Amino acid sequence: MTMTTDVRQAVTARGLKKVYGQGDAAVHALRGIEVGFATGAFTAIMGPSGSGKSTLMHCLAGLDTVSAGEIHIGDVEITKLNDKQLTLLRRERIGFVFQAFNLLPTLTAEQNIRLPLEIAGRQADQVLFDRVIETVGLGERLGHRPTQLSGGQQQRVAVARALISKPQVIFADEPTGNLDSRSGAEVLAFLRRSVRELNQTIVMVTHDPVAASYADRVIFLRDGLLVTELFEPTAQTVLDTLMKLEA
Amino acid sequence: MFRTTLAGLLAHKLRLLLTSLAITLGVGFIAGTFVLTDTIDAAFAQKFTADAAKISVAVLPDGDKADRRQDPILTTGDLAKVRGVRGVADAQGIVQGTAPLLGKNGKVAGSRATAGISVPEGALNRTVITEGSSPAAATEAVLDKDTAKTREFAVGDTITVLDAKQVKHQFTLVGLFDVGVNQELSFTGAVGFTADTARQMTGAKGFREIDVRGGDGVSPEGLRASVAAALGSGYTVKTGTQLADDLAAANNMDTAFIRMGLLLFGVIAMLVAALVIYNTFNILVAQRAREMALLRCIGATKKQVFGSILLESVVVGVLSSVLGLLIGLGLGAGALAVLGAVDAPIPTGVGVSLSTRTIVVGLVIGIIVTVAAALLPARAATRVAPIAALRAQVEESTFRAGMLRIVFGALFLLAGTGITALGVSKDPGQDALLAVMAGGCVFFLGVLILAPLIVKPLSAFVGWLPARLFGVPGKLAVDNSRRNPKRAATTTVALTIGVTLMTLISVVTTTTRATVSEQLDAQFPVDYMIGTQQHDATIPRTVAADLRSKPEFGSVVAVRETQTRIKGQSVNVGTFTVDPEFKVAPVTGSMQDFGPGTAAVTSWTAKELGVAVGDTLEAAGKGYRVVALLSDQATPVYGVSLTEQDFDAAFPEAMDRSVLIKVKDGVAAETSRRIVEAATEPYPAVLVESVTETRGAFDEALDMITMIITGLLGLAVLISLLGIANTLSLSVHERTRESALLRALGLTRPQLRRMLSIEAFVLGLIGALVGVALGATFGWAATQTMVNDVVFRAPVLQILGFVALSGVAGVVAALLPARRAAKASIVGSLASS
Repeated sequence: MTMTTDVRQAVTARGLKKVYGQGDAAVHALRGIEVGFATGAFTAIMGPSGSGKSTLMHCLAGLDTVSAGEIHIGDVEITKLNDKQLTLLRRERIGFVFQAFNLLPTLTAEQNIRLPLEIAGRQADQVLFDRVIETVGLGERLGHRPTQLSGGQQQRVAVARALISKPQVIFADEPTGNLDSRSGAEVLAFLRRSVRELNQTIVMVTHDPVAASYADRVIFLRDGLLVTELFEPTAQTVLDTLMKLEA
Repeated sequence: MFRTTLAGLLAHKLRLLLTSLAITLGVGFIAGTFVLTDTIDAAFAQKFTADAAKISVAVLPDGDKADRRQDPILTTGDLAKVRGVRGVADAQGIVQGTAPLLGKNGKVAGSRATAGISVPEGALNRTVITEGSSPAAATEAVLDKDTAKTREFAVGDTITVLDAKQVKHQFTLVGLFDVGVNQELSFTGAVGFTADTARQMTGAKGFREIDVRGGDGVSPEGLRASVAAALGSGYTVKTGTQLADDLAAANNMDTAFIRMGLLLFGVIAMLVAALVIYNTFNILVAQRAREMALLRCIGATKKQVFGSILLESVVVGVLSSVLGLLIGLGLGAGALAVLGAVDAPIPTGVGVSLSTRTIVVGLVIGIIVTVAAALLPARAATRVAPIAALRAQVEESTFRAGMLRIVFGALFLLAGTGITALGVSKDPGQDALLAVMAGGCVFFLGVLILAPLIVKPLSAFVGWLPARLFGVPGKLAVDNSRRNPKRAATTTVALTIGVTLMTLISVVTTTTRATVSEQLDAQFPVDYMIGTQQHDATIPRTVAADLRSKPEFGSVVAVRETQTRIKGQSVNVGTFTVDPEFKVAPVTGSMQDFGPGTAAVTSWTAKELGVAVGDTLEAAGKGYRVVALLSDQATPVYGVSLTEQDFDAAFPEAMDRSVLIKVKDGVAAETSRRIVEAATEPYPAVLVESVTETRGAFDEALDMITMIITGLLGLAVLISLLGIANTLSLSVHERTRESALLRALGLTRPQLRRMLSIEAFVLGLIGALVGVALGATFGWAATQTMVNDVVFRAPVLQILGFVALSGVAGVVAALLPARRAAKASIVGSLASS
């Protein structure tokens, strides 16, 4: 199979399959996914519970292995890498925002933000750092530890941390799942702004139509297959599509 | 509830095993001690019984009349009387005295004279001949096989033995024998003769024991009565069985002493194990707060929650104690095998005995310690509110030092310091040492209370270098090490106990060595010491006179000693000849006044006699004024020193007991040695000792003791390392999601492993540093209570070694938990809560 890699795609997946367990107990989480995520775009992945959206994200980010198919991040085929290479790739090219427990409790907000760079042994781009900090809007709270920050503040620190290493792509897994609607809106607006202003590529898994409406594009999964997608979504169009899927 | 507990335990087998291991090792050591000593006791009893089976009745001099200095004896008349008793088939007198064997170099062999014993003929012979035959003629002798081996004698050789008047006699070596379990003979070595020769050689005036064999059909009990009747009062007459029982009982006293010593280390190990268990249960309870809360939500009472934790501890206690007993059995057998391999005078070939007492003691101690250590954590578990089940995440426990903790800790530290200072300021002696020990214990309690406060600054100090050297993993590791100060404190204190004691022992031994050698160098500069094997043997005065004439020697001092009674006590009295270069420095008073009519007394003897400088003591009918008190260690005469004239006048028959020689500077060691040896050549009983060699032997003995004690303390250290491993693996479990996050952010597996290793390294170093500081301080305090003018020496290299080893051991303890943490899948760990 000869394929050319589209440089405008930050992440591509082809024939992606993921099976858990064996024999009768086998669970087919992904049944052959073909998808690409454009550079500088904010894409949301949606679908009912058990549709495979989290599994897809874990595979795309190199946190989990695939059963079949290939994934490219930029020009690197990550499905061919070993654990060490994957780790280094995550360091250099991928940012993460998880639903909860994004920050190390022993480090201050600023130390948490700088952590990926320190692990990689790189110097922070001071201009970028100042800009990110400004956008995060945490100014005087940078010296605080996570337990002294609100949930929304913690998630904004997590986003800032993901941005600081200028990754090729940021994967966000239900970033607003644990937040009240106001804090959630702040975080989503922040994600959106980083796409517009910093040309950051973001892939976000969510089950919240309102959160998905911040994205440029929404793809929908059901039973491990990509079934449809929406561009320039609104909360209403997302909700309608979901209703149709669940029906 | 019972089912829930068991299910929980079975679900975490590895954790259960790690937790149990601490108690298992402690119980194993204690059980091993009992197994070892019981087996030795049983083996001795069996051996004594086997020996005694050959004897119907044994006659011993009455113990009450025994003067300690003069062995009570049975006469030939007694033997004749016994032989005349009806029903006696055979009776033999047992002779034992000294009969110094000469080595191949013509000098007495060994530093102690070999014993001379009689080898009876016939059925009453208890000597086990291993090669050749028993001596049958006056010119024949047998030798114990160990002495034969070290002195390189074989059957058929001619051996030379000194008699009581130090006259040489030659014998044909006809056989070798095994001294068996006789501690005395195995220490000195022994030469066996026919009964008559043995009496002539040893100069024994009679027998130590008369063994009697009854005729056929004569009951031992009846024979005992008739022998006792024939002899009258002043004798102890026992049947063979009674004799065996008495010998076994006396032997059990000796093993009881060994048992107590070993058990002390077992108790220390159990103390450390208790700390480990306490910490483990504390962490488990904290981690299972949600589980407890859920149980409370569905209707479990506080009592039931408490009970379930306690039940868990009982299960752990029972399991580990049973395992401990098995390990103890193995340890006991192993120790016996080692003792057998080094030819210790212990009977071999007896099965290892596991007595009911060992089982009961092992189980009771194991279970009680485990349950007691789990009590506080179990109480903490009851405080979990049901609502906690609904909270998303267990909060990071924040530690705040309570005022109460600080006040109590400070009070303990102050009290400990006070008591120790009191001990140090007192005169050296047992009371002072006890005060220092008590002060040390109280101070340690203070450290235990304040440990959570000390951990933080110490980890910053210890972690300074790793945090800079190892980048992100290093920094995170140092942060993690002080994340939960209470947990870190308990984990490290367990290690501190072992390291403290090890440091203390090494400081005390090093200081003792330095002090003794310093005193010897300063006050007692001697190169050679000429002495004798036996306590009552003497050196002709011509030897000292001869040596004094040699130009190679700077000073030659002859020491004369004898026993006399002063104030109702038997005291050593002596003198040393005057030599301008030989000065004895007094502890108090002045040696300038030491002249006719005066005495100098060593400190201990002065205390015993209750005399001080200025007092007068009466010896051999004459009064002497005490002018000086002397050091107990570095003095030629232990006890009371008189001037030469006074001593010779009072005890004209006393001969030289030893001669001290200082070689002039610049004389080669071989030259001086040759001259000294030539001068003593004509006197085979006189031994030449090089002080350098003696000190070497002393150092070796001290090293050996330090090594054994350190080895025994190693058990406590090992248990505390298990504690570190346990705490770390539980912390790893607690931080699963954190580790996954770090991995997601790009921390490699080796980096994650390194992070945990450094955390353990820091914990190990903290424990060791506190231990070393405590050990050195209280080691210093302890040495201050031993003698005056202590030369304090800290074995810096050894102490640094302890610290380094603790750090490395911590890293080793982290190996397994670190592997598990690194192996965990990122996705799975992120999902788990």
